[in-house]
Amino acid sequence: MTELATEARSESPDVSRKAIVLGGRVLLFLLLLLGWELSARRLGSIFFAPPLEVAMRIVSLAQSGKLLEDVAATLRVSALGFAIAGVAGVLLPFLLRRSPRVTAAVEPYIMASMGIPKYALAPWLILWFGIGDLPKLVVVTLVVFYIIFITTFAGIRAVDRRLIDMARIAGAGETRIAREIIWKSLLPFFFTGLKVALPRAVSATIVGEFLVATEGVGHYIEYSRQISDTTGVFAGIVVAVVLVLGVNAVVNTIERRALRWRPVERDMKL
Amino acid sequence: MGDAPLLEIKGLGKRFPGRLGREPSPWVIQDLSFSVRAGEFLTIIGPSGAGKSTLLNMIAQIDTVSAGEIVFNGETVKSHDARTLRPGFDRRIGYVTQDDNLLPWRTTVENVLFPIEVQGRLNDATRAHADTLIRAVGLAGFERYYPHELSGGMRKRAALIRTLAYDPPVILMDEPFAAVDAQTRTQLQADLLKLWDIGRKTIIFVTHDIAEAIALGDRALVLSRQPTRIAAEHAIPIPRPRNVQDMLAVDGFAVIYQRIRAAIQ
Repeated sequence: MTELATEARSESPDVSRKAIVLGGRVLLFLLLLLGWELSARRLGSIFFAPPLEVAMRIVSLAQSGKLLEDVAATLRVSALGFAIAGVAGVLLPFLLRRSPRVTAAVEPYIMASMGIPKYALAPWLILWFGIGDLPKLVVVTLVVFYIIFITTFAGIRAVDRRLIDMARIAGAGETRIAREIIWKSLLPFFFTGLKVALPRAVSATIVGEFLVATEGVGHYIEYSRQISDTTGVFAGIVVAVVLVLGVNAVVNTIERRALRWRPVERDMKL
Repeated sequence: MGDAPLLEIKGLGKRFPGRLGREPSPWVIQDLSFSVRAGEFLTIIGPSGAGKSTLLNMIAQIDTVSAGEIVFNGETVKSHDARTLRPGFDRRIGYVTQDDNLLPWRTTVENVLFPIEVQGRLNDATRAHADTLIRAVGLAGFERYYPHELSGGMRKRAALIRTLAYDPPVILMDEPFAAVDAQTRTQLQADLLKLWDIGRKTIIFVTHDIAEAIALGDRALVLSRQPTRIAAEHAIPIPRPRNVQDMLAVDGFAVIYQRIRAAIQ
């Protein structure tokens, strides 16, 4: 059990390691804040809102309830689009796996449609679906779908054939193999896709809200710009960043739980 | 032990299909025949690259046959077309492969129980049986460890008892102990013999190690180089129970060893 011994030994340096990393992070944050403040003073508050004013704006937005309203609107569209795209992006590769010929036939079309810039579709989508949540939802779904689809597909191709053979010999049916061997094998790929796709889902929603919306973080940013309220623009951006970080933290926690069985890679936590 | 063979291999041949517009590969295995009685421990010795794994893959029905046929318990296996293959032949043929092929997301006990679970036979009795096997091979205390936390020898043991736990009448073993050190290997061989003495399965055990083939088997087949055929067959009349640790001192070991060695060259 030499491996276990090594794990135990490295535990105490781990603590000081964490302290160094944390200290570095705080320091970087302070430097960033300082740079922001200096830029604001130099360039003037029309172009660069000072951090304190932005913070106060966020607090007042929170007090008035507008913050929660906008965040909820943005999250609603992102989450729904993300869910639809996630389910489709996972199911489709599983279906294609059954038939290499259909896969070969469909592949160039999927690749070609991936090349379409999704945001360029927005005006056309507004034409079709009006100015409700629907056009934003479609853009978010399209942006997320391809990322999840491609990573899941790659994951399915990377499954160890020997594990599938082992399961077949043991008497496992196709559904069982899909659930137990293939899905579990591609989980690391899936989470990678998830982490790439989540910030983009939020971004896509915000961009959508620039174009058509009556509420949402993106709408607040765009509205502030229209009335030359730089502080409002900055406040919106900060909220968007926090939103993405929060969503990422949730995914990271789920990933850690789902992939508990993996050897710990200490330095590869993104 | 009846005399009718449980498994018959008749004129078996294998060549791999060529890529588009190319000839298929030369025969890897050609006109290979042998049979196994129920409860027999058959060892097969072959040099590297003799198609040993290919042979077992065909018997396990995860690879197609290009010529000849496989008869299991009087039933001819449809093994020429990949679509009619039945891997494991309805759980009657177990396969301990060269790599342990443990599922990395399952703990030791979950891995051992995997086939039983898949077969819908998970109950107190099968759990208890798996527990007994885990203890018999010294994995007690490691039930909740993941494969990457186990040593190579432990993983081999887990893979071995995973197949034993669901009790297929025939078990194929493809150099299962090749990748572990000599000391661990002796221990694993002893474990295997102990388990076999309790259960008396039919085992086809492939190895490139002559001493291992003699220590374990009732009978040893020697394979030729490609295209692979049976070059020689040797009965191993060493009485059981055998002690793997001092096999070298057993009467007749040296003689059999010399004969097999000569057959290989």
